[in-house]
Amino acid sequence: MARKMLIHGELDGAGVHYDFDLFVIGAGSGGVRAARFSANYGAKVGICELPFNPISSEVVGGVGGTCVLRGCVPKKILVYGAAFGGELEDARNYGWELNEKVDFNWKKLLHKKTEEITRLNGIYKRLLSNAGVKLFEGEGKLVGPNEVEVTQLDGTKLCYSAKHILIATGSRAQRPNIPGQELGITSDEALSLEDLPKRAVVLGGGYIAVEFASIWRGMGATVDMFFRKELPLRGFDDEMRAVVARNLEGRGINLHPRTNLTELIKTEDGIKVITDHGEELHADLVLFATGRIPNTKRLNLASVGVETDALGAVKVDDNSRTNVPSIWAVGDVTNRMNLTPVALMEGTCFAKTVFGGQPTKPDYINVPCAVFCIPPLSVVGLSEEQAVEQANGDVLVFTSTFNPMKNTVSGRQEKTAMKLVVDAETDKVLGASMCGPDAPEIMQGIGVALKCGATKAQFDSTVGIHPSAAEEFVTMRSTTRRVSAKPKTNL
Amino acid sequence: MAASIATPKLTATFSAAPSLQTLRRKLSTPLSRSLSLLPPSAPRTLDLDLGLRSPTKPRPRRRRLSVEAAEPDNGAETARHYDFDLFTVGAGSGGVRASRFAANFGASVAVCELPFSTISSETAGGVGGTCVLRGCVPKKLLVYASKYSHEFDESHGFGWTYDAEPRHDWSTLMANKNAELQRLMGIYKNILRNAGVTLIEGRGKIVDPHTIDVDGKLYSARHILVSVGGRPFIPEIPGKEYAIDSDAALDLPSKPEKVAIIGGGYIALEFAGIFNGLSSDVHVFIRQKKVLRGFDEEVRDFVAEQMSLRGIEFHTEESPQAIQKLPDGSLSLKTNKGTIEGFSHIMFATGRRPNTKNLGLETVGVKMTKNGAIEVDEFSRTSVPSIWAVGDVTDRINLTPVALMEGGALAKTIFFNEPTKPDYRAVPSAVFSQPPIGQVGLTEEQAIQEYGDVDIFTANFRPLKATLSGLPDRVFMKFIVCAKTNRVLGLHMCGEDSPETVQGFAVAVKAGLTKADFDATVGIHPTSAEEFVTMRTPTRKIRRGPSSEGKKDSDAKAAAGV
Repeated sequence: MARKMLIHGELDGAGVHYDFDLFVIGAGSGGVRAARFSANYGAKVGICELPFNPISSEVVGGVGGTCVLRGCVPKKILVYGAAFGGELEDARNYGWELNEKVDFNWKKLLHKKTEEITRLNGIYKRLLSNAGVKLFEGEGKLVGPNEVEVTQLDGTKLCYSAKHILIATGSRAQRPNIPGQELGITSDEALSLEDLPKRAVVLGGGYIAVEFASIWRGMGATVDMFFRKELPLRGFDDEMRAVVARNLEGRGINLHPRTNLTELIKTEDGIKVITDHGEELHADLVLFATGRIPNTKRLNLASVGVETDALGAVKVDDNSRTNVPSIWAVGDVTNRMNLTPVALMEGTCFAKTVFGGQPTKPDYINVPCAVFCIPPLSVVGLSEEQAVEQANGDVLVFTSTFNPMKNTVSGRQEKTAMKLVVDAETDKVLGASMCGPDAPEIMQGIGVALKCGATKAQFDSTVGIHPSAAEEFVTMRSTTRRVSAKPKTNL
Repeated sequence: MAASIATPKLTATFSAAPSLQTLRRKLSTPLSRSLSLLPPSAPRTLDLDLGLRSPTKPRPRRRRLSVEAAEPDNGAETARHYDFDLFTVGAGSGGVRASRFAANFGASVAVCELPFSTISSETAGGVGGTCVLRGCVPKKLLVYASKYSHEFDESHGFGWTYDAEPRHDWSTLMANKNAELQRLMGIYKNILRNAGVTLIEGRGKIVDPHTIDVDGKLYSARHILVSVGGRPFIPEIPGKEYAIDSDAALDLPSKPEKVAIIGGGYIALEFAGIFNGLSSDVHVFIRQKKVLRGFDEEVRDFVAEQMSLRGIEFHTEESPQAIQKLPDGSLSLKTNKGTIEGFSHIMFATGRRPNTKNLGLETVGVKMTKNGAIEVDEFSRTSVPSIWAVGDVTDRINLTPVALMEGGALAKTIFFNEPTKPDYRAVPSAVFSQPPIGQVGLTEEQAIQEYGDVDIFTANFRPLKATLSGLPDRVFMKFIVCAKTNRVLGLHMCGEDSPETVQGFAVAVKAGLTKADFDATVGIHPTSAEEFVTMRTPTRKIRRGPSSEGKKDSDAKAAAGV
């Protein structure tokens, strides 16, 4: 597949010789994609990455990056593992007789997870070598606009010149600044715990918080979630946030909205957790799911003059170029839309722009995404609130809340919720969301439809697949409500 | 107000009517709940915008009006009085949908249906029809039940262990399934009642183009709708009385220990999966070399292989000739290749036939095909102008959502003055085999025939779950793209969640989107579905003529699709 057509010693207009056409710092989703595609366009590419370790730091990481080693993949594996907890409950009313004693062996799952991410780490390395990309293990930093330095494990330093440099170092979980914060863990450690906690406390209301809460709860732990807002998942559709909150509670997770943690204190049998409401809780584990920050500290950006924002994210233009023309950045380190497929898109566009002769901008419209809480949430396009805010005219909202068929026999009290937000004037579907089993798989196709500006009439003209949950998306005939862009009537 | 039915484009008249408030209240009934499985618990807030709807999208609305006034279509018969505007024979998916919508458009409607039984016959049926009582719904409930054994197997790889292997209690499942069917039947009756449809229990028979006889009582109707569905068909072979059909298979008193399933269609595969999952010894006998005639060839191969890996034994090119009951009560099956003994059950999944016998159709002159299906035009009208037919009895595309579409279109055509043809293009469908199949549009073979030059994109990968479970489960996906226009002609998937996954893509295929449109969509990670928006390289390009360049698709699905 790779053309392996390395252009040795390419000269630029001024006759300068570079070791590489492209040097990438960071071999995660965005970096690997950009490196491979650039190599496929004929560029000579080098890439550096920190040594492999499931728990990241300034000095360890691994080829594959957050997604493969400390994010999407291991997370989803644990979600699969945890989902069986609910499945076993549901099986009984379908006639399955299970012993009271069903054991869950955390160590086994963890071991298999580590095996799998190690395998994927190998696959990624192979992908790079097959594409003809030269991989360096070590910490990369900028030395000049066209120069990188890689500090290898043994401390030796390599220095390379490159016509283009791509920063794709991703991001890392951050900790809140409270007394005893060293007692808490981040998602990195949470994916590699020695033992399954019996009592877990989660601080944060974002997608990482709800996912880990679901994981531990599914495996039988007592879980308490603390977050600042009234509902988890700020930024998502309000109605869907309420559904997620209800489902989390329905599955036995204790929610503490509008509550923050003020202090963690080590005790004999765990951690004492103090809230800003003066409550005390005892836990085996406290997870900080309080956001992530770009990995830019040790890149030496300032000395080369690459601009970053207040959070430390590399500032880029529409083509992922920084203010230094030879330096580019993609993925979480730019803090645009922090999703693996978006980093892939940015990486692809970068390669096309720089080496494919086709300037290409990543398109951030109608990017679908999923939250793998149990049951999951998936959305594409605008939330109702965003639609009302952005639409020129009225917005039609179609909702459906129903008991999924499986629950009619299992007896599980949990509704699936779906929503379409439609521009009343153009009939264009502006947003779709769903919370319920299989939502992420269902939303992908809906995402294609939205991306291409499908109208509600086009949804309606599609015949349903029966019996499925997804068919509800093409059978929502009656408007639940009509919201005026300018709130003059209250219909 | 009643007079306005003569011009059934009601919107203007209606929104101006003084009784708007009252109507709005009446209309709070769930109108749009599809006849499908979806239970009634869903809140349906309706009609906040009665006067605001665009006239192109009429809201079904219900009006009681005198039949005399409602005389739109056949001018010649204006004078005649009928008991009902519409009399529907058969309260399954199509019949209930047409009846409800017709009633909502202001027609007076009656529907007759046979008394309930899980096993259908000339004298038994039940409100809800095949889908709810003997098809989609109970089938899917059994699929849910049977899938657990696979999930238990998977769960081992994720660290779950059981003191003793989970055992399945058949009677619990049957009792809970039947309770659910009873509940749904009640819901359907309510739906009809709330729509103002008169439900008559009994066997309907057509006496003349405007008269129906239900167990001796005569009713007249301006229009008659035949929506009596289909029934399983068992070929005439010696010993067929020992065999069961899908009706019986859904309501067996005990678990079959060793079952022979005759047939290679979707019903055969679904039941093979169900019984296999509930730990029966399953043998499937198919006349041809492959299962699922009519489906994409690659999907046919893939699903058979996956099912074999789960322990189902396929006997290809093997047709049944006779069934014998042995003294020990077991059954033996004689085929063209030999005799296999020891079956506790032999199930025929050898097709379904329209329920058109003894309906009086011949006497009133309704034309039928050799198969017994009612012949209809594009508006579902039979050769007798006052008689219409929708659903499986017409043997067009025998799917619940298609019957719903036909029923909805019919109500619009007759009672809303908006002649509407059901649209059979890009109808998606699913097979709830294990693993299941979802598909929309053309197969590769059909596409080549119709378009000649097509590009084929395929992916065959081990899903993330299987890498942990260690089971041999795989997922197969396929795109068929028109080489000239880049339009996606067909999309197929076999693997976990296929039916749910394909629905959204079906919207895209129906909308005529191109492969480039799919490629422009960002994936949802990590899902299986994202593969549909990340297939970049055609597996093969087929050009009219013998030459086609072949290329094997990469087997490995790297986790991030990089």
